Amino acid sequence: MDYAPISVALKFGFLVVLYLFLLWIARSALKDLRRTASPAPDATGFHQAPGFAPSPGAADAWLVAERGGGLNAGERFDLIGGLSIGRSSEADVRIDDRYASGVHARIFSRDGHTYVEDMNSTNGTLLNDATLSGEAELIDGDVVRIGDTEFRYEAT
Amino acid sequence: MSARNRELFALVPVALLLTAGFTAVFAQESSQLDNLSLIYGAYFFAVCLATHIYLRIRLPFADPYLFPLAALLMAFGLVMIYRIDASLARDQANWFVLGLVLFALTIQFLRDYDVLERYRYTIAVVGLLLLLAPRLPGIGQQVNGAYLGVKAGPLAFQPAEFSKICLVVFLASYLREHREVLIVGARRVLGVTLPPLKHFGPMLVVWGASMFMLVFIRDLGSSLMFFAAFLALLYVATGRFSFVAIGMAMFLVGAWFFAATVPHVHDRVDVWLDPYAHPQTSGYQILQSIFAEADGGLFGKGFGQALVTVPGTHAPLLPAAQTDTIYSLIVNELGLFGASAVILIYLLIAARGFKIALLAADGFSKLLATGLTAVFSIQAFVIIGGVTRVIPLTGVTLPFISYGGSSIVANFVLLALLLLVSDRARREIGAGERSGDFALGRA
Repeated sequence: MDYAPISVALKFGFLVVLYLFLLWIARSALKDLRRTASPAPDATGFHQAPGFAPSPGAADAWLVAERGGGLNAGERFDLIGGLSIGRSSEADVRIDDRYASGVHARIFSRDGHTYVEDMNSTNGTLLNDATLSGEAELIDGDVVRIGDTEFRYEAT
Repeated sequence: MSARNRELFALVPVALLLTAGFTAVFAQESSQLDNLSLIYGAYFFAVCLATHIYLRIRLPFADPYLFPLAALLMAFGLVMIYRIDASLARDQANWFVLGLVLFALTIQFLRDYDVLERYRYTIAVVGLLLLLAPRLPGIGQQVNGAYLGVKAGPLAFQPAEFSKICLVVFLASYLREHREVLIVGARRVLGVTLPPLKHFGPMLVVWGASMFMLVFIRDLGSSLMFFAAFLALLYVATGRFSFVAIGMAMFLVGAWFFAATVPHVHDRVDVWLDPYAHPQTSGYQILQSIFAEADGGLFGKGFGQALVTVPGTHAPLLPAAQTDTIYSLIVNELGLFGASAVILIYLLIAARGFKIALLAADGFSKLLATGLTAVFSIQAFVIIGGVTRVIPLTGVTLPFISYGGSSIVANFVLLALLLLVSDRARREIGAGERSGDFALGRA
């Protein structure tokens, strides 16, 4: 018996099944990719700090991330009730910065004014490029710098 | 259809393809249709099914396509190796089972893969020692001018296969911690963003290690593979293309320098540039490989039809057909279409791997998934590029296809790590991912 036709049939059968299989996987992989494209807004999804969805409008003062700290530039933190900034998970605004202390600085309001206070950090806090000692009042446009991370204070 | 059901469904055509492949080889070699092919197919399916059930219990959320794709590559390898030498295929089947055992053990004991990050320096040292092992007197082995193997008593293996995993784990963990300083400390000089000098050290170490491999291990392929994976990780971690460009320039300068001064590297490059200079000796393998590919045509000559040895003798017509040039054998027997399918499988695995990195929630998982995927894909590129004369031919294995225990086992461990990352990422995204799966088109 001649097996040549069977061999040819098997070869083409193999290729057809193989390609259908790959097509199926590629198709579902593509759908999968479309459906879950949202969790990573930038190329790697690294710069998302979970749990700090911006909620503008709720307060009349914000801290806006300018650069560094593993935060998205332009990310806004609502200042109602004050917040703390630092490297540890205890801080309200967690920044990924080698030069930041666990709880590095805090921002709070008193009598309708907003203040920034250095929490005895190791490397200090800069307010408009000057070293901050103790606390100081913030006015619109002030720049708070911790290590390599910069925030801008915005008030309306 | 849930992720695991899709995996199960995907394994069926894989087992069918293996059976069809064996049937065709039997029909060609002994002119008979043997039910042995059905038995082999059934064995293969049983082994895959057992792994699938294990995954169903341990990693219910893990990516459903990676394992079937790896099994498909194994099926290709088993059929092709059987067709070269039945006893080698039996070894390979044993390696396959052993690989799956290690795959299961990795999943069992590294569920919480964050421990890898804690032991990163230990892992890095182990990786480097593994790389150095082939040069140690007594256990080192030289194969074709490269120091690749280690032989200690009955145990022989290729340490580079395992050290690639160690180094990726180390780099992922290191860059996770230092990525921020690499970005923030960067300065712009003449329009090029340079990484900060004080954090540049580790990059120089990696560069030095890959150059060292080039010279002392004489392993061009692994050297390229490690360095490219490092650059991929660096790019993902920092998002700075200039770092990658600087790294590439450094590698090219180094490679060029050593190609000019180290005879072994020099020979490899010469053969690549002009294989016709010595067609019977140094150029033989690459020339035969290219001729075999050209001979395959669009659809190939069919299973079992390629000439691996000179007819009537045992002289190899296609040297190292079961390892280095197995891709050429696939092109010869299944043609352009079959070979493109193999490349497609690697592309799909890469796509799934990067998808896992996208979904992963923390930096280490992201970098780990990226690094593992990168090193795996680049390995496939290095050897496919080698036998098609895109880059100099070197002795790395074609993952999951080439004959060789170390390669199979190491790649299954790599796959296990990817699935672990995937399981955690998808578990966190939640049940929505599972129930939201599309209905399968069975048309």
